[in-house]
Amino acid sequence: MPLNQDVLWYKDAIIYQVHVRTFYDSNGDGIGDFQGLEQKLGYLQELGVNAIWLMPFFPSPLRDDGYDIADYNAVHSGYGTLEDFRKVLESAHNRGIRVIIEMVLNHTSDQHPWFQESRSSRDNPRRDWYVWSETDERYQATRIIFLDTEKSNWAWDPISKAYYWHRFFSHQPDLNYDNPAVREQMWKVMSFWLEMGVDGFRLDAVPYLVEREGTNCENLPETHEILKDIRRRLDEQFPGRMLLAEANQWPADLRPYFAEGNEFHMAFHFPLMPRMFMGLKLEDRKPITEILQQTPEIPASCQWSLFLRNHDELTLEMVTDMERDYMYDSYAENKTMRLNLGIRRRLAPLLDNDRRRIELMNGMLMSLPGTPIIYYGDEIGMGDNINLGDRNGVRTPMQWSGGWNAGFSEAEPDRLYAPLIQNPVYGYPAVNVLSQLGSEHSLLRWMQRIIMVRASSAVFGRGSIEFLRPANHRILAYVRRLGNEAVLAVNNLSSAAQAVELDLKKYKGNILIEMSGKNMFPRVGDQPYLLTLGPYQFYWFRLRRI
Amino acid sequence: MTHDTSALMPAVRTEIKLAEENFLTDDFLRQLINVGEVDILIGVPTHNNAKTIGAIVQAIQGGILRWFPRERAVIINPDGGSRDGTPELVTGISIDDLRPVSNLHALRTLHCVSTLYGNGPSSAVALRTILAAAELLRAKACIVMSPESSHTEGDWVSKLLLPIRKDGFDLVTPTYRRHKFDGLLVTNLLYPMIRALYGLRIREPYMQEFGFSGGLAGEFLLQDVWNDGTNGRGIELRFALSAITGRQRICQSFLGQKDHVERHAADLVPALRETVGPLFSGLESTLRTWSNVTGSQPISTIGPDHEVLLNPVRVNRKRLKEMFSSGVAELAGVFQAILSPATLAELQRIAGLEEGNFCYPAELWVKTVYEFAASYQKSVISRDHIIQALAPLFRGRALTFLLENRNGTAEDVESNIEGLCLEFERLKPYLLQLWKSRE
Repeated sequence: MPLNQDVLWYKDAIIYQVHVRTFYDSNGDGIGDFQGLEQKLGYLQELGVNAIWLMPFFPSPLRDDGYDIADYNAVHSGYGTLEDFRKVLESAHNRGIRVIIEMVLNHTSDQHPWFQESRSSRDNPRRDWYVWSETDERYQATRIIFLDTEKSNWAWDPISKAYYWHRFFSHQPDLNYDNPAVREQMWKVMSFWLEMGVDGFRLDAVPYLVEREGTNCENLPETHEILKDIRRRLDEQFPGRMLLAEANQWPADLRPYFAEGNEFHMAFHFPLMPRMFMGLKLEDRKPITEILQQTPEIPASCQWSLFLRNHDELTLEMVTDMERDYMYDSYAENKTMRLNLGIRRRLAPLLDNDRRRIELMNGMLMSLPGTPIIYYGDEIGMGDNINLGDRNGVRTPMQWSGGWNAGFSEAEPDRLYAPLIQNPVYGYPAVNVLSQLGSEHSLLRWMQRIIMVRASSAVFGRGSIEFLRPANHRILAYVRRLGNEAVLAVNNLSSAAQAVELDLKKYKGNILIEMSGKNMFPRVGDQPYLLTLGPYQFYWFRLRRI
Repeated sequence: MTHDTSALMPAVRTEIKLAEENFLTDDFLRQLINVGEVDILIGVPTHNNAKTIGAIVQAIQGGILRWFPRERAVIINPDGGSRDGTPELVTGISIDDLRPVSNLHALRTLHCVSTLYGNGPSSAVALRTILAAAELLRAKACIVMSPESSHTEGDWVSKLLLPIRKDGFDLVTPTYRRHKFDGLLVTNLLYPMIRALYGLRIREPYMQEFGFSGGLAGEFLLQDVWNDGTNGRGIELRFALSAITGRQRICQSFLGQKDHVERHAADLVPALRETVGPLFSGLESTLRTWSNVTGSQPISTIGPDHEVLLNPVRVNRKRLKEMFSSGVAELAGVFQAILSPATLAELQRIAGLEEGNFCYPAELWVKTVYEFAASYQKSVISRDHIIQALAPLFRGRALTFLLENRNGTAEDVESNIEGLCLEFERLKPYLLQLWKSRE
């Protein structure tokens, strides 16, 4: 299957987020690798995704799951070789799957040779590649992100006897983007992978590239200038490739990352995700419609990236204190589940393994404006292990079967990079790909079907959205439109059956065709259109004039 | 050919009964369907309250946001045909309007539903509408708020709801900071008599703001009070009496300052109909309950059970005295049917006193009230005439209260009220004796 050559391919994409380490171990060393990933590309193709986002796979001391990169131009030996990566890239492309890789611009590992040189001497040519200071008093207005582990954004380096700046863990010194040599070097790194054929980058932690006194050191104009420069070079040298911003910010602060269509192609819509969970628990569309109302228009070539869960905690940075308390009480009563300002749990456990709610949330993910990202394992309802530290509980091995090591690896179980989920509800004997492939009504099969339905219409990826506002607040309803095509999505956020009257006057004369079963519903007339929905049920209707 | 219609009959009867009970409009029902299940329901009955209603609804919304941000809430506004745009004001106030001033943010949709129930105010229809909504929406806790108060605060919502939500009470009656001469009908008749009858010291049994559980709402809705020929008079008092006699868990909660409302002489008879009427009429059906009660007990109270304002107010004592004396004279024939000869004679004696020496003693007042109650039960004359006849006598008692407490401190006033209550309790056997003698 050839790759779609449309430069706006990312708008129609359904992205699967996966860490090589977690997916499939081909050589029996207990760690997933690129050869293993290549073997499982058929599974992803069958699932229906057309892009994968690979989490960091570079050489790293792995103190932050690879986000502490020690060499940008190589592959971590545990995952294979550059050649293995090339093969994955080629195979994926042959299957019509694009490959997006992680690029951590903001910081390196403290084990990176650049930092080792930088700290070695104040006269070293790379001294100015990082942000050094004689005092830890600078940039005091800057918040600390990893509140649970870090007390300051400055760390004392006993070797060079100075403080260095770090927005994340202290072993992740920030690069100094005021230094043109750093900017040039990082573009070289990106070019290296682009020339190899990667289709895009997920740029990590982009709001924090530049520091300025008296500011919160986030979203600064200088940072945007640097990002625009990267985009300019990308368009000139690698047209059709894509940049995805990781900027955990409010919508108004996110908007500048799209600029005039000349900065990022896509950005995660961080504030929407917790509000989808909130709306579900409240049985009220308000949090969702409210945040989407506050979401500014973005240039036509740009796209939001939507997700339910990812490798990090369910971040609650972009909610109010009251909302955060509510989310904690609703989804993480056990304090072990909380990390930083978030909840370190997977989708299925968050939703009490309730199939109806899992389907509804995926239904909204697939029908709201944006490109959906599915976190590996969520398509089968994998569980988590909150007893593992940091965010490792949501990064356990993929559960392929009920057999040895869940079919993930042939290694001895104690050699696995992380323990398998073993509990009776989410453990691999109960939740695995093989068994779900064997059941037409499994979550995995349902995910395949919903992805297929979404892929059947460009309206989901590219269409406009118009919210209907039925008086029943438990119903989230909207019409997605693209050209002459219109799709009505109706979601019941309630645990009880609901009746709703929709104002569809604008679509009078259309009949509704339910997109999953292709069944006809009555023609829209002058009266409000009455629908009834079961608990957590949702419908997608194609509106057709016949 | 014969038809057996017996199987059909019950169904037909049921249908008719159901049809009779369809007092909610389709439009209102449709709105309730959209609201769905709620945790708390706030009823705000209105009729031409445009001057005050905006601030009250905002205060309610603020209270919900501050105290119950996670609860599913709805404001129900039964309107008796306002012509000043009151319902539009109620439904037009957005909870988001509060954000700039309060920095409060609503987690949920807060529904505000207004329904027109008639072309004139009826507290009974309004309350029935609220109770029906509470039942249909499965509200766990409800309050009714007056649409007139200029002192309504957001925390009234919590003060009335929290005892139900947290402590499991079924009825929360209010207490207020009032001027010592406000609410004389309450302090001189309703509070002491209800206290003596049922043994509970409920300071404000004639409630304008009150909270209640969903369970109590459902029970009262099923009672035969809506079509019993009383036109729903005094429904709030009947609601309270129903909770009292139904042994529901009752507490009172201090809300704050209550507005002083200017009363006109003509307001008294309707007020008596609204209060004393249901109080007297309820005695018969609750005889078994009250006849076994002696003394009284305080009830759980959140905050003070009363607070008194002492600022001087002008009262036309001379007019009160004139209305009392002329009433005693003009209604002598009526009183002969209602009162005992001794009581009537004593009333006639004090009617002749100079204003400066006037005193309607507590004992005489209590006997008067009890004799009225007994006569009401026996319907010696039209019950409505009995209620009307009490008006001039109440004015005499009010005058005495004013004179006794003219220079009184808060403690003095409270002491007098307590003394009157004890007199009602002490003379309760007299009421029982009257009751039995007239059976």
